[in-house]
Amino acid sequence: MAETTTFGNATQILEPFRGVKRVTIEEYFTSGHRTCQGCESALVMKLMVKASGPRTIVLGSTGCMYVANTTYYTTPWVVPWMHTQLGSSGSAALGTAAGLKALMRKGKMKSEPINVIAFCGDGGGADMGLGAISATLTHKEYNSLILLYDNESYANTDIQLSGMTPYGANTTFSPPGKVKRLIHTRWKKNMAGLMAAGHPECRYVATVCASYAVEMMNKVRRALTIGGPTFIHSLDPCPKGWDYDPMLSHELGELAIETGIFPLYEVEDGQVKYYGKTKAIVEGRARKPVREYLLKQGRFAHFVEEDLDYFQAKVDEMWEKWEIPAVVPFRRLDATRAALSAK
Amino acid sequence: MAALICEVVYRGIFQKNLAARITRGIVLSARKSGRWGIAFGRYGDSPQRNGIPAKDFAIVADTKEELEQNMARYEPKHVDVTIAVDDTLSKGVESWAWYGLQPINRLTVPDGTLLMTSLQSYDSLLQDIHKKDAPYKLALIRAKASFSGLWVYREDHTEVRILGALAKIAPSFLTLQGVGEAIRESEWGSDLKVDSAKKAYERLESRDVTMTEGNAEIPYSFEMPKWWEMREGVTIPAIPVGKPKEAGKGYVPERNPYFKKFTTRTMRPVVNFDTCVKCTLCWIQCPDSCFDVMPDGTYDANMEACCGCGVCEAVCPVENCITMVNESVFDDNASQWEMWRKDKQTYQAWMAEKIGDKNATVRSHGFRFRGQYEKELEKNFEGGGAEITAGIPGENAQHKEG
Repeated sequence: MAETTTFGNATQILEPFRGVKRVTIEEYFTSGHRTCQGCESALVMKLMVKASGPRTIVLGSTGCMYVANTTYYTTPWVVPWMHTQLGSSGSAALGTAAGLKALMRKGKMKSEPINVIAFCGDGGGADMGLGAISATLTHKEYNSLILLYDNESYANTDIQLSGMTPYGANTTFSPPGKVKRLIHTRWKKNMAGLMAAGHPECRYVATVCASYAVEMMNKVRRALTIGGPTFIHSLDPCPKGWDYDPMLSHELGELAIETGIFPLYEVEDGQVKYYGKTKAIVEGRARKPVREYLLKQGRFAHFVEEDLDYFQAKVDEMWEKWEIPAVVPFRRLDATRAALSAK
Repeated sequence: MAALICEVVYRGIFQKNLAARITRGIVLSARKSGRWGIAFGRYGDSPQRNGIPAKDFAIVADTKEELEQNMARYEPKHVDVTIAVDDTLSKGVESWAWYGLQPINRLTVPDGTLLMTSLQSYDSLLQDIHKKDAPYKLALIRAKASFSGLWVYREDHTEVRILGALAKIAPSFLTLQGVGEAIRESEWGSDLKVDSAKKAYERLESRDVTMTEGNAEIPYSFEMPKWWEMREGVTIPAIPVGKPKEAGKGYVPERNPYFKKFTTRTMRPVVNFDTCVKCTLCWIQCPDSCFDVMPDGTYDANMEACCGCGVCEAVCPVENCITMVNESVFDDNASQWEMWRKDKQTYQAWMAEKIGDKNATVRSHGFRFRGQYEKELEKNFEGGGAEITAGIPGENAQHKEG
């Protein structure tokens, strides 16, 4: 197995899959998990370890992908997997990477690059585990990937609102009523941008969507190859919480990208690179109206025109007013730039 | 009988609100009929998942003491009435918790009633329903399975029709008048719904099922590990990586041997191997890794693992290459690819019959667009149950070709 070094740590060199026919045939996350019909997060698990290969340790914080997959003394995992607490994906990733390094240094296990991936849901990652993930992303001497699978609610416990729940959505905590139509009026956190902007020594941050399987797997492979602590944010349509026919999981993922609501990009050594349909949008292709995405989901069925307009305006703002469109929400600094260049 | 114990077996999430309304409706109807009642869900089914079979219970008793006596149980071991609100559950259910496969009539007491919503004939249903070592009654409400989701409910009167039927089945516990009063007082009730309950009461069909009737298959079961067999740290062995299908070609993954998930399936993919372009999309996009890779490069949906989500039909770029067909028209979980390999003409004829059955391919598995349920019901009332096409992948596939 080829190796490289980042900050003195060897990693596996995982070349990108050049086309879907070259994708690994083996499954390392297999059938027999208790997820919903059409569960996109289960697909993310499958593709994640397909991309990383057999020499991988996976750590899972509490959430659907722990409870549905590994309860009642059974497992669909082919690679080693361990549960960790709700807010601990960052700590578990760091601890496992450090533990492996120490064991190898002491000669207690064969020295080889082993991928360490910790996954967390949006509740476990963006709400509870944010501090631990942030800390891990500053520990440049340990190789680990933290993958946030974002189904935009605490889906496992029947859809409570999280910091990643989109504006206005119906959840157990925000049922639309006769007096008040929208209970949840906060805009969703910008996790990947936050991680990239706040951790200068994290070499790789990416956003992915499993509707684009090969690109998604290649981002995982890039993150594991580049080494150090890395972060990937995956948007996962959830038939249970978003309330749609499970058959449409793939289509809703595509629509989230095509409407510009969820941008696909990677930030490698500080360089922002858009890819896929998002790249086309940056290069001038029109975004689809957000209503095409929102009105296919029962969680937005109570929206009136005013709400749709507000949602559209917020997404427009992301693309038209942000310093780095759809990545960093700072407003443009034209005046400052002009002043600096005048000097 | 001094107490009436009912279970509602339903599709997780798709029918969660429906089951809650039914069991709640039973309790309210009991109060209006001068009885006591309680409704509760099965702990092991939570958190529910789309399609995975789940259960709710309702108990009605003559006195508070009798009710308390029945409430002391974790969950009922025997029920007087089993209510199944989707007829594909007749093949048996594997619950969210680790129980193996249970026949739908497993808890039904001798001479009890299995009440189902179905458009199938008794004989067709009894091909699927497992044999029972006691006679029971099979009662039918002529209706399609009512599926919706967590937030938008499908108002097709299924809940009140069940209540009306129950008044017929157990008149000493629920009176039709009590049912009517309870419905009228519910936040989801209406006079129209009271009429629906009455009609269900009048039109309920039922027949006796003898011990010799039913599916003779022995349901699969698992030996649960004993506590002294558990390993340090409560670790368990990982699943081995799979093997080639045959002669070093293809690939069949190993699967979790203790949870098969196929009773979650309400529709199954039927694959046309002759028109397959081997694009890999069904295989790579399947969240349940159910597609085995065949030596010729086609993909065979493994019916022990497929839970019937339909993503494969949605992503398949070839017209009619993958078609989702209702589970009720199949008798086994045999490999479609093996059947195709054995005799392609027979397979084509079999496939044409399955995907040509309009009643079996029409799909309503949750929200697609606003006003969809109303539109579907309108078409059902006008007769024929016409296909609703807006927003379905057929349209999506056309768009992709263009």
